[in-house]
Amino acid sequence: MRFRAADARTRAIRTLAIGTALLLAALAAGLMMEATFQDGVQTLDILRGLLMFVTTGWLAWGAMLAVAGLWPMKAAARPRFDPTTGRTVVLVPICNEDPVATFARVAAIDASIAQAGVTADVAILSDTRDDMAALREREAFARLLAVTGGQGRIFYRRREVNTGRKAGNIEEFIRRSGAAYDYAVILDADSLIEGETVRAMIARMQADPNLGLLQTLPRILAARSFLGRALQFSAAFHSPVFTRGLARMQGATGPFWGHNAIVRVTAFAESCGLPALTGRPPFGGHILSHDYVEAALLARAGWTVTVDPTLDGSYEEGPENVLSYAKRDRRWCQGNLQHTRLLFAPGFRGWSRFVFLQGILAYVVSALWALFLVVSVLATIFAPEPNYFPDRYQLFPVFPDDRTREITALFLGIVGLLILPKLAIVAEAVMTGRARGFGGAARTARSVLAEVALTSLLAPVMMVYQTRAILQVLSGQDGGWPANARAEGRIALVAAVRAALWVSATGAGVLAAVWHFAPDLVLWLLPVGLPMLAAPVLIAVTSRPYEGGLFAVPDRADPPAVFTAYLAVLDGWAASASAGADAETGGASDVAA
Amino acid sequence: MTDLSKTAFDRAVAVAQTDWLPPEAPLAMPRQVLERPEHGTLMSLLARLLMPVKRV
Repeated sequence: MRFRAADARTRAIRTLAIGTALLLAALAAGLMMEATFQDGVQTLDILRGLLMFVTTGWLAWGAMLAVAGLWPMKAAARPRFDPTTGRTVVLVPICNEDPVATFARVAAIDASIAQAGVTADVAILSDTRDDMAALREREAFARLLAVTGGQGRIFYRRREVNTGRKAGNIEEFIRRSGAAYDYAVILDADSLIEGETVRAMIARMQADPNLGLLQTLPRILAARSFLGRALQFSAAFHSPVFTRGLARMQGATGPFWGHNAIVRVTAFAESCGLPALTGRPPFGGHILSHDYVEAALLARAGWTVTVDPTLDGSYEEGPENVLSYAKRDRRWCQGNLQHTRLLFAPGFRGWSRFVFLQGILAYVVSALWALFLVVSVLATIFAPEPNYFPDRYQLFPVFPDDRTREITALFLGIVGLLILPKLAIVAEAVMTGRARGFGGAARTARSVLAEVALTSLLAPVMMVYQTRAILQVLSGQDGGWPANARAEGRIALVAAVRAALWVSATGAGVLAAVWHFAPDLVLWLLPVGLPMLAAPVLIAVTSRPYEGGLFAVPDRADPPAVFTAYLAVLDGWAASASAGADAETGGASDVAA
Repeated sequence: MTDLSKTAFDRAVAVAQTDWLPPEAPLAMPRQVLERPEHGTLMSLLARLLMPVKRV
């Protein structure tokens, strides 16, 4: 299949966005070097300039994505769904998940798909290692079959050996059963998707035989804690804009985020057999962040991969506290750093390589910010004494220029790159009427300000976690791919202190060192050092349940039908379990009918 | 929508049913090449052409 190059408009937007980001990065680096070179050119100053270039370039790229996504996107054409062609399977790979919640989601999705007039099988693909947990899965599956009447249509299989983790799990299914299906909707254990969305996705596949993968933008449901609510708000309010920007630049090489997407099974089978990389983990072995690679492989084979932010009805759950977030980040960090091995892999499209680079930078930039701060302190410590009489025959001393203004401008510029896109998104939401779903203009603005304040406080803490993750990966420590800590909620202060004392100690150490060696910089470093010192408090407080007025999202006021159905199933199953109803017989077939 | 939540079931009967596996319909999934072979690059081919050294 011949690859379809990006059209001129897409190439123009890409060039403009990347060019502007590079220009802003060069401007910031230039300002920084101009300010630091006044007492002579030191190696540390050059390093600072380079670090400023990369870190600001990354922020500017994020801002460009937002700018590119500001104007609304016309919903893609909705082709007619043909129920007579194409067989579909919904894949739900699981590994050590709560079986009751997971299978209740499957029941709700299955019912929603049937309501939408779609016939689809469901395959739950278990990689659960623990035998007792697997037994609970079998029991939950038996209940699922009984209540849905899904015998012969809803499947469950558990692998003896979970080679290749999630990617290997799906691969094993395709090797065994792939020829039975044309399309596979890939979900995560915490995914929910409306039947109408599945129907629209299948119709898109039917209409475009070159479409290999169609990714939806999942929104977060079931958030309870302050952090969870903030992430939910961000995913619902900001992500559509950023994803629109991404979609405008994707061409035929869009992203795959591992779930809530549909793939053409033949395309996936012929293109996405992942090899283990030579060498040992963390850089060798099985590919952890397989989704990016699968998207690149599909594009390499000539298939179109696309994300459509206008497709509604796709959901997932998010982390509820900073520790869960950091745990997930550790996995993703290792997976993305492994992509350094694939940057120059044969045959990939240029944009696919750029996507790899973005994934790598998403983590490396944190470490580079930390390095920038360290280098700045060192540069101050080792700065040469000012020379007031550079000329031999000089009557009056020459005082070095005060560059505080330039540095302040640079600081404000960086803060602007972070905040202005979000304020622009508020303006977009108000003008398009989108803000109504988030509680109106004023409430939306308050939510955005609270979210900016929260992310600013947590940024130094996440910087330390991500820097540690990078150092662990670089030192060869394989974090593996532990199960997700779903539904992990509130963290007591004592537990938070135990978990994050090292972050506080790092913050205290940094501030003490700066106070001792470069007291002039203490004020500049307080916004970084204080949140690190207070990390346990931040972790504990943001994990508390939050029912306040901030972070309103449309899905809380008007929950999606599939979510309501899922909660009803879950409540019913929990109630029947507690009442010992498991022992009862009969009735199942009535409901299935 | 059918109320899926208020249903009891006979676990013994259900668990005893073994036809839970997805259909047998194999599909080939060839391994993709992601790494260049160390000795297959143009540069190494040229180098070996000019300096055909036998490895010891």
